[in-house]
Amino acid sequence: MKNNVSIVISCAGMGTRLGLCCTKALVEVEGKTLIERQLDMLKDYDDIRVVVGYQAEKVIELVSSVRKDVLFAFNHDYRNTGTGASFCLGAKFGREYVVALDGDLLVHPEDLIKVIEYDGSCVGGTTPSTDNPWTMPTQMINGVKCVTGFSKEYGDYEWTGLAKIRSDQLKPGTRHVFHLIEPMLPIPMVQIRTKEIDTIDDYERAVQWVRNGYED
Amino acid sequence: MNNRVFLFDLDATVTKVEILPALAEQVGKAKQIAELTERTMHGELPFKSSFLMRVDMLKTIPISTVSRIVEQTPLNEKIVDFIAENRERCYIVTGNLDVWIEPLIKKIGLPMTHCYCSAASVENDMLLRVNSVLDKELVVQQFVQPVVAIGDGSNDADMVRLAEVGIGYGGVRPVAYSLMSNATHVVYDEERLCAFLRTLCE
Repeated sequence: MKNNVSIVISCAGMGTRLGLCCTKALVEVEGKTLIERQLDMLKDYDDIRVVVGYQAEKVIELVSSVRKDVLFAFNHDYRNTGTGASFCLGAKFGREYVVALDGDLLVHPEDLIKVIEYDGSCVGGTTPSTDNPWTMPTQMINGVKCVTGFSKEYGDYEWTGLAKIRSDQLKPGTRHVFHLIEPMLPIPMVQIRTKEIDTIDDYERAVQWVRNGYED
Repeated sequence: MNNRVFLFDLDATVTKVEILPALAEQVGKAKQIAELTERTMHGELPFKSSFLMRVDMLKTIPISTVSRIVEQTPLNEKIVDFIAENRERCYIVTGNLDVWIEPLIKKIGLPMTHCYCSAASVENDMLLRVNSVLDKELVVQQFVQPVVAIGDGSNDADMVRLAEVGIGYGGVRPVAYSLMSNATHVVYDEERLCAFLRTLCE
């Protein structure tokens, strides 16, 4: 287990696209909220930061009931900023590496650990499955599959919001996390199995996936 | 190493309990003082007038008795350890009276020059008058170095708002909503708080 890593879970967003009146991290899939699932997977790591904004008190209450030793960071401007801003706030004063994890990402437990334990910086990519995704063109560099860009038009893999990067390379930003990563490209890609939940259709696919033991 | 300074609220941040309600038991006014303290911490009463009301209820207790009781207030030991390790850059910022808390500040390991508090005059071991009530916001503004502020109540909100890093500590009691709205961070575990503070020392 690596102890040079801070893990930043962004739970500040409003989840409006999902049409539910709660922040997406609090959405229940098979009797457990997404944030609880993530915390279960991260029980061996000691620097967990949860960024809160919309419904901050609800998120804090739930997270604290699962795990006391979490550092909460506030994104008070969650209405006007994206996950990039939340990530920067959570990653501030972080360890050598910081891991970005969206609170609405349902990821295969083994794959989350694979990204955290990766030797160096990396980005988690998955087979495109959500509606209107950001995708990533890739290229083999020295035998390693690397992400070379982020695009709505072309790319072999879907951007998942999961990435591990060096803290000292992180520059402040307010848009998406991948905008923060763009200056660091090319960057190795780790293929992961995920279900991002942005729409009701995504949600139904996610429930089915968990029911099947994280198998399609 | 950077030059950040650390400003700690005293009641329910460094101490495990609120100080005034513990004192109030001595004069049979525990309920009234606890109620006033709660309403003040939630921002329903201005700190200054509420504090003066509470002092008024407690002024019949001799100063030597008050400071002896206050000195026995249980402390959050891990926070006290952090303060001991970083004495030069740590300060207590509290609305409590200097004449009540001096032995407790010493026990925490700080000289009174590292304690910003309200001030009172004493005559024949009895409280004569309150001379000033501390405004925590003004304390932060006086510091030249970047500030890390740690507190839990409504009267800490401005101190936390003005700090470079403003932390709500909810290990003893729930963090006031007004403080949460102004904080950069909130943490509920004492060990985790101290680990984060050590990171901020580097």
